This record gives sequence, structure tokens and C-alpha cells, in this order.
Amino acid sequence: MPELAKKKVGLIACSGEEMPEGTITRLAVRQVLESLRPQLTVTICLPLFLAGGEGDRAFARSHPTIAVDGCEKRCAARGTEMYSGKPAVSIVVSDRMPTDSSELGSARRLSGTGMQVARDVADQIARHVDELLQPEWDRRRERPLESIKPQEESRPQQATCSCGSGIPVETLQVGGREVALIGLPLVFAQFRGEGKLPSNSTKTELIETLRIYNPIPHEDEAAYAEAILQKYAAFCRRSN
Amino acid sequence: MKEKVLVVPCSGIGKSLGSVAREGAYVLAEDLCPQETKLLPLALIVLGQDETRAELSSAKAITIDGCVRACAAKVVEGAGGTVAHGLQVLDVCRRHPDLKPSGISELDESGHKLAHALAEEVKELVDNMWGRVTHA
Amino acid sequence: MPEEDFKVTIDKFTFLIPKGLSYNEAGVWVKLEGNRARLGLSDFAQQHSGDVAFAKVRPVGTKLESGDEFADIETVKVNVSFPSPVKGTIVEINLSLEGAAELINQDPYGKGWLAVLELTDWENDRTGVLDAKAYSALVKDQAEAEMRK
Repeated sequence: MPELAKKKVGLIACSGEEMPEGTITRLAVRQVLESLRPQLTVTICLPLFLAGGEGDRAFARSHPTIAVDGCEKRCAARGTEMYSGKPAVSIVVSDRMPTDSSELGSARRLSGTGMQVARDVADQIARHVDELLQPEWDRRRERPLESIKPQEESRPQQATCSCGSGIPVETLQVGGREVALIGLPLVFAQFRGEGKLPSNSTKTELIETLRIYNPIPHEDEAAYAEAILQKYAAFCRRSN
Repeated sequence: MKEKVLVVPCSGIGKSLGSVAREGAYVLAEDLCPQETKLLPLALIVLGQDETRAELSSAKAITIDGCVRACAAKVVEGAGGTVAHGLQVLDVCRRHPDLKPSGISELDESGHKLAHALAEEVKELVDNMWGRVTHA
Repeated sequence: MPEEDFKVTIDKFTFLIPKGLSYNEAGVWVKLEGNRARLGLSDFAQQHSGDVAFAKVRPVGTKLESGDEFADIETVKVNVSFPSPVKGTIVEINLSLEGAAELINQDPYGKGWLAVLELTDWENDRTGVLDAKAYSALVKDQAEAEMRK
């Protein structure tokens, strides 16, 4: 059975060779990966992604991504959208240039100004990583949970797993309506494997774990928690 | 042959050899063969820039890949281009076992030397494609 | 991929661990072929090592104890020597690797095999190797530890 993904952010740089802004995207992403947020980010290799790398594409489908492009052609953002899903954040270096592009140096060798811009972009990426990982991220609607209006939540959508990694989806009844939760069977199996019995503390842990992969509105949390715990109890009885 | 040879490096961001491919392509296109070659970004080939695809259909390409997955070669062929020569940086590494590169954002000295060795090899191929005699 | 294979996915990396093979902790797989054993590197071992530039296997005729180094792999990242999971004598080595060491990366369980040994103490050696399930658990731990570095 496939493993549930730990929450991280995928970073995709265009690495365009034609202009210094492309080199800036490369350096900025590497800086975030190596120094600023090493445990929270994964780099997605754009050439491999475009050439058919299924591991990278599957990751990008099930995790929030930040595309970092050098120019308005937005190859990283468009490629990500084409093969996995719209990136959570799209940064275009040329949009935020305070100085003339010629001050950045060449694509092959950035000037001091170019290196500083790379550091600034890296800081910007790191802030976006923090924002993406703090609130609940609605993978289906591709935005943080806070931006969802309550009336949208009253129309539950069938979650489909298109990532190709085989993450199962299961439905349950919450407050009289059917909701689908991504990864529910896997979470149950993990908890059962760890010997966690149906209890109030398990209920809290279940909700916190499932929230990583599913939008669970705060105002409905109690109803979700109760439904999930009952389903888990039934799962444990079947497993005995 | 008078048409510029298109050079497509993978520029992979996950390994040193991707950076060597990128740097080697720059050495070739800017220093060694600026009149005979042109760098072509891989992403523009995939994402359907019409003028990029038109260039690809009318000229021959040399791809430089940082790993055995050969993304640049696959992408050029997938777009209907002709890969006249598909180079693997790893093969160049084997011919220069004393030059083990490290660093991705910034290549170390061995990485730069390996990039130069790669560019020299590609230059020979370009010279042959342009019908020039290369001296041993 | 056959349904019976195990798969460990960490971030964007997936490591295949076929059932029907045994493994040592260094990531060398063993496939029994009568009284012989074919050895190679697991998917995790090859991905972890990096792109193989050179592979050198001890010559035919070499007698090995379990744990003796039998193959040296040189990649861009590391030089690694791998221990044999079994006791025996090398009767065949993969000559294809001389010109195409990348086979270890491209097809670690197939064309990238390293050596074939004539076994001398399999009944004892079998207790010291891991089945696919146990090796999968080890791979998960090792891969997660790598990610934390």
C-alpha cells in the first residue's frame, strides 16, 4: 500500500539559460533547499519533469508547489500546470526587478547585484513556504483553507486521486452529508499498526493527521472528528 | 554546413552534472564556437514556443545531459528535432576520472575543468558538422 | 511493475524492492539460481550512490566469506565497496558493466547485475539476510534519515 506523503513544498525553477533571471531562479531555489528551508522543501527538476519523470510529477500533484520563473514566458509555472496542477505560488523574477536587467550580470555569471536579487528571491520563496505549510492547504481547490467561503463547503466534491501514486480516498457521513477524505484508509492502517485504540486522544491525532491532506473547516471539526473516530473504531473491529 | 548547431543542455538542478552540462554549454556557445552554435532552452521546446520549434525543425541539435535519463535528448526527439549527437556528461567524467565535480549552485574547480573538457569535445563535433578538419 | 513488489516512496523518490529476492543491509540483493546466487545492487542502493561511472567486481575464482567486499562502485558522489551477503566463489561477473556501468542505475535488478557466486553455505547465510518486507522497512528508515540530513 502506498505511503502517505509528509507535507513539503516542491520548488520548480525554470533555470533558463538565455538570461540572468533564469540563473537567478536556479540559485534562489538551491538556496532555499540547502540553507533556508532544507527539511521543508524538495526541488523538482524541470527537465526531468517535462521529459516524463513520474516521481516528480506525482510529487507535484500531491504537494503544494512554488514555480520560480525568470521571465514572462513562465515555463516552470506552465509546465507544472500542464503535468500536475497549478502551482500554489508563481514567482516571476523579471516582474520584481527594481533595477535594470543589465545590472544583473550575464546568464553565465551574475554580478553582485544579480546575486543579491537571488538572495531576495530566495527569502521570498522561503516566506511562501512558511505560508503554505502553516494553514491547511486545500489541495483540491489549490488555495489556503481560510479563503474558502462556508457555502462552498456545503457542496462536497468527490475527491479524485489523479496523482498516480495510488493514494486511496474513502467517503464517510459527516453531519448528514457524504464527504470524501484523501488517505483515510492509509491513516487508519498506520494508527492501527501503531497500536492506537479508538479514544479521545486518538480522535485528536486522527483529525490533525487527516487535516494535512484534506480541508476540514474549523466550524465542522467536532462533527468530522466524531465521524472519523466511529469509522476508525469500525476499522479496528474488522482488523481484530 | 552553415546552419548554427543548436545546443540543448539539460541544466538539471538536482546534480552537479546538470550544472556541468549548463556551464559546458556556455563555454561552447560563448567562448569556443559562438558563430557556429546557439543555446536553446529545453523548457521552451516543450512549452511550444513556435519559433523555437521552427528552429529545431530546420537545424541539427547536440544535447548535453547530466544523467542517464537523458531528458534533453528525449525532449528534442519528442519535439521532432534531430539529435545529431547526444552527450552524457557522465561519459566525459569517465574520460577524466581526476575531475570529479561538486557543487550545484556554484561548481568547484574540478567542475569547471570538466565543463571545459566537455565543451572541447563538443567543439570537435561541431567542427565536423561544419566540415572543418580537426587537428589531433 | 509486478504487484508483488514492495515500493517505498519518500518525497519524490520511489524505491522498488522486489519480492523473491533477499537483501543485506548494504543493499546487495541475492537471487537464488539452484546452487548459485546472482548478486546486484538494490534500487535504493543505486539511487543513493548516484550515477555509476565505474564498477569493478572481484575476478572469477575469488573466494568470499559473507561480508567480504566483492564490488567497488565509483560514482560522481562517492566510492563505495559492497559486501557479499553470502559465502561462495565468484563464477561469473557482468562484463557489460565495463562499457556501460550505468546499467546498474538503469536496470538494477536486471541487466545491472554484478556477479554470480557458487554457494558454499547458504543454509547458514540465509539466516543473515533480509526478506523484501524487512528490507523495505530498512530502506524507509535509511531514506528518511537521509532526508533529514
